[in-house]
Amino acid sequence: MNVKSGVFEWALPRVGALGNELLIGLTLAIVVLPQAIAFSTTLAGLPSYFGLYSAIWGVLFTALLNPSRVFHGGPNSTLSAVVGVTLLPVAPQFGPDYIGYALTLFLLAGLIQLVILAVRPLGRMLDFVSEPVANGMICGIGLYMIFKSFPAFAGLPINTQVEWRLWIAWQSFLAVLEIGNLHAIHIGLITLLVTVVTRQFAALRNWAILLGIVAGTLYSEYLSARLGLGETLIEQTANVSTGFVYPSLPLFAQEAMPDIISIIPGAVTLALLGLFQTVAAMRRMNRRSGQFVDARHGIFADALSNCVLPFISALPTCASFNRMSLMHAMNTGSRLAAVSSALFLLALVSFFGEFIAIIPVPAMAAIIMVVGANMIDWSDIRAHFQHRPEAIVFSASFLSVHLFGLFGAVICGSLLALAYAKWEKAHPNVSLEHNVLRIRGNIYYGSLPVIESLYHRASTDARIDELVVDFSAVHHIDPEGIRWLAEVGRNGKVRLIDRRSGQDRRAVSGESPPDRKRRDRRRRRTL
Amino acid sequence: MKPLAPAWRKAVRLALLVGVLLALYALALAKHDERERIREQPVTLTPGCSDKLARYGLAAGATYVSPYALARTGQAIVRQGYSEEDVRAIQRGCNIIDDLQGQLAADPARERWNATRFVRGTHTSCDHCHQGIGDKQTAAGVPQTGSLSLAGSWVMADMYDQFTGILLPYELRQMQCYINSSNGFKPNIADDLIRDVTAYGRFLAAALDLRFGNRYPEQGIDEITASQTDKRGDDYVRGGALFREKCARCHGPQGLGTVVDGKVLFPAVAGPNAFNLQSRNNFSFVSTILPGFICRNMPLGEEGSLSNQDCRDIAFYVSNLPRPAGDKQGPLAALWQQLMMRVMPPLIRTIESWQRPGEAVGNGA
Repeated sequence: MNVKSGVFEWALPRVGALGNELLIGLTLAIVVLPQAIAFSTTLAGLPSYFGLYSAIWGVLFTALLNPSRVFHGGPNSTLSAVVGVTLLPVAPQFGPDYIGYALTLFLLAGLIQLVILAVRPLGRMLDFVSEPVANGMICGIGLYMIFKSFPAFAGLPINTQVEWRLWIAWQSFLAVLEIGNLHAIHIGLITLLVTVVTRQFAALRNWAILLGIVAGTLYSEYLSARLGLGETLIEQTANVSTGFVYPSLPLFAQEAMPDIISIIPGAVTLALLGLFQTVAAMRRMNRRSGQFVDARHGIFADALSNCVLPFISALPTCASFNRMSLMHAMNTGSRLAAVSSALFLLALVSFFGEFIAIIPVPAMAAIIMVVGANMIDWSDIRAHFQHRPEAIVFSASFLSVHLFGLFGAVICGSLLALAYAKWEKAHPNVSLEHNVLRIRGNIYYGSLPVIESLYHRASTDARIDELVVDFSAVHHIDPEGIRWLAEVGRNGKVRLIDRRSGQDRRAVSGESPPDRKRRDRRRRRTL
Repeated sequence: MKPLAPAWRKAVRLALLVGVLLALYALALAKHDERERIREQPVTLTPGCSDKLARYGLAAGATYVSPYALARTGQAIVRQGYSEEDVRAIQRGCNIIDDLQGQLAADPARERWNATRFVRGTHTSCDHCHQGIGDKQTAAGVPQTGSLSLAGSWVMADMYDQFTGILLPYELRQMQCYINSSNGFKPNIADDLIRDVTAYGRFLAAALDLRFGNRYPEQGIDEITASQTDKRGDDYVRGGALFREKCARCHGPQGLGTVVDGKVLFPAVAGPNAFNLQSRNNFSFVSTILPGFICRNMPLGEEGSLSNQDCRDIAFYVSNLPRPAGDKQGPLAALWQQLMMRVMPPLIRTIESWQRPGEAVGNGA
């Protein structure tokens, strides 16, 4: 499969559907706008144009490079949270150094994604980050996002040092209760309530965030008109750029090298989390929309875009679950929807920049809280808790986000998922019914002790004259397993059967029909 | 898109969420009210503060003339006065510096703005480093050898963070204090805790007539680098011997501090109540600050009697005693340090008692 050929596969919509595609594009542009600003300012600690350019150029690049009809890139809450967490210890937020390090971080992540694209098995590894690991991390990040937005919600200055631990978040919560700016809290509460209430109506669901922001902004404008900004002390978003692109250069100065080295784990996390979300979202959309697009197209589009975006001041891009569900719900027929959403957003930012600039920061924080709460999906969690090993992997991954940070969570969760898979393989279902020893699972060096213990008990049992070892349901035997089987076969008391080839029936009838043999051989050939 | 839940369940959930939010809002209003009331309340001064503020003539009025400057220069320097509100803030600030833990207060949490939340252990107080309630002077008003004067810090306009290079305003420096010396989380920069101490530091500068732009010996700290010593390396064994000779009589043989009747007379320099591993006081984190502090301020009453080499040796020894882990070192390091502080000493004592039965072992932990 060639990822480059996908770039030119365009399913142009019928003329009648063109209007629908443009409508979807406009909807997406309006939906992504508040998210872009909130993610970049409140989570990543970067000026709002980073989110906007990501929602414009990131979406455009991925739409052009990825043949999937239902795909929407752009800024992502998880990735923005990773940016904030990685860079907080390195430099003060919103400062020039911080921006330089952020661009370096994005470029490193893009390059790592390119490596993952180039080395095929690495891309395949993404499939091994299992659902409970990813969900545990996403829930952990959701909780983190809620706590993280407390100071901004109450109009308090954000402390300059990293505030990641849950037990520190508790202190910010108390600070909100005790010394929060009440005007800010009012704005935040209004935004929160409007968003949460409108979400309950199916027709308004996708507009909830926008309506919340509008309500919060209107109230903030009312306050400023009545009391004045100097009295209310409400921070506003501002700083929406007006140009089409804002060229930038990642920071690679020699004196910055120690810090750059220290953010490499963050870059790996960023790259993996981005690609993982893209791959998972594409898999889900394949299942729903009926169009099969190989996940490598997504990796290709993301990696390439993320190598370009650091040079035009944009957050890294990856697939967005919520916007893609919206696209699917509105029956997107071609990539034109995503492309037009980018262009619509560019127009919006160019013409309505000053309206965007008055959005109050507490309203943004409230939106982040809603987004964070949405990332904690109870139905998913309940599903994981039906199965003990999955519950353990999920909880470990969730807790390690708060105990060891995001990179630690990736490592810890993946190791646990692998350990779980190995554990399952090493415990084949071995049962002894009368004189039949049934093995279902794998016979390999890890599972042999389990099998051998029961085999030993059965073979030394005086009541059993002939022991039948049935390995029909064994799907993998490694060389050590073969050696063990050979050993077992030498024991006169034991008969090996494998019902898949009809061996036991042949042994009973005592003769082998020639046609059956031929059919066997044919089957082997086709396999 | 996820299917929406049935209407009644949705309504219940929504009502629950709105209820929780409104309850939190009501709680916030109550807490804000309480803070407002505390700000309005008259302040009960600690004995030390009562003396000091009386000596500096703090009172509400249109103008303020520092008696200290008047006595020293014979010249009455008239400054803008303080309102009742300012006076209360300064008084609370002085209380915080003198007694951060609220051991002298009737209601510690309320009178000290919950300051204990932001420090670890039960010993830490500002006064331990910023001695003499912020300006190291005798009761007669004679300045003593020492560093880290709060008044000197207020008039130090250009202090940069050594690591990040940011210009640190007075409020941020206070937050650095919480990070450096006691650690954990720090108060929000908008907290009354920070504001009151700022008011006090500013008042001290006015009272002592310190001026912006001037340099004063009590400003900041003299950091002692390895090149300022005899250049024979930091000697743990010598540091231990010096510690037992010079420091142990106040800080205790294991550096666990001296507490009498629940009042901290001398703070711990090791163990659960001491500064932590990631504090800049810790030698292995920043090797110049603790020696500098020791040389200028220790032992109490004999300041300046230790050589640079002595100070570095003692600091090296002290920093290697067990202490809590820093907040950013993660749960494993924290667990390890707790093990070192709480499990190891009794274990060692037990083993020693086996080896030397009959002998009195353990030296006053």
